[in-house]
Amino acid sequence: MKRFASMTLAAVLISSAAYAAPVELTLWHMEQPPQRVQRIQEMLDAFNDSHPDISVSQEPQSWGEVYAKAPAALAAGAGPDMIFTIPDFTPVLKDLGKVQSVADFVEKLDSEHHFIPATLEPYTYDDGVWAVPLYNMSMNMWYRKSEFEKAGISVPETWDDWLKAAETLATSEMYGIGVPANKQLYTDQTIYSVMANGGASELYNEDGTLRFDNPETVAAYDFYSKLVALSPPDVNSWTWGEAEACFTSKSCGMIMQFSVISTYDTQGGGAPEDLGIAAIPTKNAGGEHNTIAYPNGVMLLTDDKAKTEAFETFVSWLLEPENYGKFLNMEPGLFMPVTEDGAKAESFWSDPMVEKYKPQIETAIANSKNGKLFGFTSGRIFPSIAAISAQNLLAATVQDVTVSGDSAADAVAAGQKTMEEAAE
Amino acid sequence: MKRSLAVNILLALTLLALVILVALPFWWVISGSFKLPQDIIARKPTFFPHSFTLQHYVKLLANSAYTTYVGNSLIVATFSTLITLALAVPASFAFFRLKFPGRRTLFRIILLAYAFPSIVVLIPLFGMFTKLGIIDTLPSLVIVNVAFALPFSIWMLRSFFATVPKEIEEAAVMDGAPPTVILRRVMLPLIAPGMASVGIFAFISSWTEYVFASVLIISDDKRTVPVGFAGIIGQYQIDWGLLLAGVVLAVAPVVILFAFIGRWFVSGLTEGAVK
Repeated sequence: MKRFASMTLAAVLISSAAYAAPVELTLWHMEQPPQRVQRIQEMLDAFNDSHPDISVSQEPQSWGEVYAKAPAALAAGAGPDMIFTIPDFTPVLKDLGKVQSVADFVEKLDSEHHFIPATLEPYTYDDGVWAVPLYNMSMNMWYRKSEFEKAGISVPETWDDWLKAAETLATSEMYGIGVPANKQLYTDQTIYSVMANGGASELYNEDGTLRFDNPETVAAYDFYSKLVALSPPDVNSWTWGEAEACFTSKSCGMIMQFSVISTYDTQGGGAPEDLGIAAIPTKNAGGEHNTIAYPNGVMLLTDDKAKTEAFETFVSWLLEPENYGKFLNMEPGLFMPVTEDGAKAESFWSDPMVEKYKPQIETAIANSKNGKLFGFTSGRIFPSIAAISAQNLLAATVQDVTVSGDSAADAVAAGQKTMEEAAE
Repeated sequence: MKRSLAVNILLALTLLALVILVALPFWWVISGSFKLPQDIIARKPTFFPHSFTLQHYVKLLANSAYTTYVGNSLIVATFSTLITLALAVPASFAFFRLKFPGRRTLFRIILLAYAFPSIVVLIPLFGMFTKLGIIDTLPSLVIVNVAFALPFSIWMLRSFFATVPKEIEEAAVMDGAPPTVILRRVMLPLIAPGMASVGIFAFISSWTEYVFASVLIISDDKRTVPVGFAGIIGQYQIDWGLLLAGVVLAVAPVVILFAFIGRWFVSGLTEGAVK
């Protein structure tokens, strides 16, 4: 009888385990273009098939609304279990007390895959790691090799070279360069890329006070205004798409851009041998080439043990080299690996578009190792960076110079004041 | 008085300039949506397409949930319009005809509600709708659209009620008709153009509403056209062909609806007024 009861109990346990519902994880991400949604779904389908005890579903969102939507959803208990993020966005959710530190998990992943340190830095502060880096984006200088050859110029290394190249390329058929001057994130990114190459990458002093108003920043703004003068007249309203179109249509000799190669390939007719991607020139010869970089990561928004384990299983699976390349190539050329083994993964390099533009992508990956992001460069996070970033105050200062006609020194001094007010 | 030839020519030229001003953006969008990608972004754009392709439309319809977005928009806009009309007509008639304390004050407060910046209620509304269990549903958008279209609709309709000659209403009163009958049988046919105007206003407001639709809807299969469309375009890149094809398909239902159906709708309703 006792044996029968034990067997019955065992049978019940086995059957209940067999029919246990899988752990469900919802993922919010902001990669909304159809091809990216489709690729992510393919990844999720493959993961869910190979892990019947876990079910991951995606809910694509927009960067435009997620800053308001995610906090509201989390406060109302309707938020996701994990969400893709960038460094600026992470503190918004962390301040709500919803984000879980993934320090131990990242340490384990690092020992297996070896993260590029620059991709971990913006998420490591306040005694925790607040996101697992997944993919990186870095800004590079784009040029056309044929136009450079025609004009007899080589790839610029310094600001002086750069200006001369833009002046040489400028003809009745082409603008020498196209850099944005809109009060928008793209301009924040391009001016910061120039600042970072002119010794002005730090926005804050060690004590947390702003150091925006300094001679290096003034020099960077002054130089940038010279580039704007050689750009098309509508750059005051440009975002990434307009710059890309200007370059692709051969109306701009050079641009600064994230490497969305698929657009160049499809809209520009695709001439891989003519696309040059280089590091952004430095102020003086011999300096290290820096650039702005956005390591995108994934945050864990639940403290449920089963979901945390499922999250770790999913992210570990995603970072395995045989899967990781396919994930990155949801947008070939734009999304760079954040791990050493990911950068060598067959699944990454075997994509037809990546094969076609291999040298350019290799350059972009190399440049991304010197990636910096304003407000996240000192290993500490100053909360006011969120307000400075949200109001595009770096770009607003560009407009003070290029639209209002202020001197770079006056504009930067006014910019520092505005930033201090925003920080209060 | 007969106009001189010079004045006629001047008027014709002014009219032509206005037509060009209004039509040109539409032409660029429509013709661009049929051009090859290289022609769309060419430095020297061509007024008449040198190429013809349907690839942007095919891509839009095959690779995105665009038809779902259009279907959702039609459902939301239609219900929002019908409910707005159903509420605005009796409300505006009450403000126009019935005497009750605080009528004028209340009427002015209603317009204040229209001027209220809707964005400030976005987050509280999200919490409230979550508690009601209607977050991520199309009815939540209908509620919001009706709430924001109703105040102005009441104001618009009240001014249409005011244009009806008093004698017509007095005749109905003499015949012993109660207010509900006067509204239904006498006033409604006479203010039909006003109802059509309010209907168009409510429909287009709902069709183009972005902020609430982007926050209150979480799932892709419940998105409306403006939100779904914004997602298709992406942030760091713009597929210009897809963008133009999307604009054409987003505007087309509204243009078709009001160019043809809207016209019949108005003429049908106003027949009663003529009689």
